[in-house]
Amino acid sequence: MKGLIKKDLFMIRSNCKILLILFIVYLIMTIEGNDFAMFLLPFMSIMLMISTFSYDSYNKWTSYAITLPNGREKSVRAKYLATLLIALVTTIFTLILLIAVSYFKTNTINMEEILENMLGMLFGIFVIQAFMYPSIYKFGVEKARIGIFILVFGVAIIGGVLSKLFDFSKIADMFKFLNQYSLIVIPLAMFGLLYLSYKVSEKIYQKKEF
Amino acid sequence: MENILEIKNLSKKYKDFQLKDINIKLPKGMIMGLIGENGAGKTTTIKAILDIIKDYQGEIKVFGLDNRIDEKKIKEDIGVVLDDMFFPEILMPSDIDSIMREIYKNWDSSLYFKYLNDFSLPIKKEIKTLSKGMRKKLEIATCLAHHPKLLILDEPTSGLDPVARNEVIDIFLDFIQNEECSILLSSHITTDLEHIADYITFINQGEILLSKTKDELMEQYGVVKCGLEDFLKIDKNDRLRYKKNRYEYEVLVENKKEFNKKYHMTTIDKMTLEDLMVLMIKGVK
Repeated sequence: MKGLIKKDLFMIRSNCKILLILFIVYLIMTIEGNDFAMFLLPFMSIMLMISTFSYDSYNKWTSYAITLPNGREKSVRAKYLATLLIALVTTIFTLILLIAVSYFKTNTINMEEILENMLGMLFGIFVIQAFMYPSIYKFGVEKARIGIFILVFGVAIIGGVLSKLFDFSKIADMFKFLNQYSLIVIPLAMFGLLYLSYKVSEKIYQKKEF
Repeated sequence: MENILEIKNLSKKYKDFQLKDINIKLPKGMIMGLIGENGAGKTTTIKAILDIIKDYQGEIKVFGLDNRIDEKKIKEDIGVVLDDMFFPEILMPSDIDSIMREIYKNWDSSLYFKYLNDFSLPIKKEIKTLSKGMRKKLEIATCLAHHPKLLILDEPTSGLDPVARNEVIDIFLDFIQNEECSILLSSHITTDLEHIADYITFINQGEILLSKTKDELMEQYGVVKCGLEDFLKIDKNDRLRYKKNRYEYEVLVENKKEFNKKYHMTTIDKMTLEDLMVLMIKGVK
């Protein structure tokens, strides 16, 4: 399995230079006061992993991988572990960004706020990936990409409309108590979701024919 | 003789295609050539052996083990070249070594780099920059570098120039020298198979039309070329297939010696595998 993780990391290696340049640009933008820039890097990590799926499918690696002694389940596991690794790296880079912003803006480092921002961002990435990976294994990368964008925009639009029509503040209040546990609840939720997604992907891939 | 690969009654149904009762036995130290037109079922058979396709009926044993139960163990000793399926093209040959070292217990880096050197392949260039022939050579180097006992090759020589093809064929012949290793090879380049195959299995529309030793095939089968008058003399039971050309008839016969004794026709040509394929598929019964 180590070999399969290596494969994904080698595949994104060619994008490292671009990532480094983007990181510097984001760093400057963030220091200049554009807070949104810090979310671009994690977004890039999603795109990088999707690009590995695209290359896999273009060169029919997915069928070739079955001929190797790893077994189907390890192929899927390797993809999720590579995702976690990339997320770890982007987290570290983003952490540097957030600390830099906090320091340049206020001359102090607000670790609690930084950690909350960080978790929010990671949660966002993992939710997208948790839905996207099983769809890729089931329908292929092109259809899954379109599907996930429709899903994200659909949820955003429906959520927006519903929030205008109904008052959700009472429901939100009911869950307010969770806020104090956010540093525990959010990681548990996102890893739980990713694990569930991994299990679904594995099941799909086990049955898949090429 | 011990079989390295044994397929019993392999069947698989698709919407528009069916693989029917495929039976194959490949002994140790032998090369079996799979022939047949596109879509005949050669690749489907290969995919079933490798578990790339699921839900098929029948039994497949490799090294005497069930291909589904002992999948991982079996795959340690199989080398594979599949048509158009390989590593993502943004990787480099050196990456393949680094990856495969972690995948195969017996991966031999020095052997892999020796093949790259013999094939004049670059080590630090992305696969996408290589020509089709060079990619094929890289696939062959990759499939051989973990000392497999069985090679499963789907069109391994397509895209190679005649010199490279000869080079590759010599490597395959070397591979079976220790008599413990075998090759299952599908190819449209039938002349390659005439050079190296010990057995020929002909698949057509999902069924095995014939499976014999190559020597048996080449010695027994023949193509009679004759005019209408001679053609009409040939009994229906004595011909396998025939094809009417502009000036002559081509008749495929199963036993050219017997045929010659009975009909005394002088123009019985030695059959090539291409003749066999064309006449069996396009000829009239």
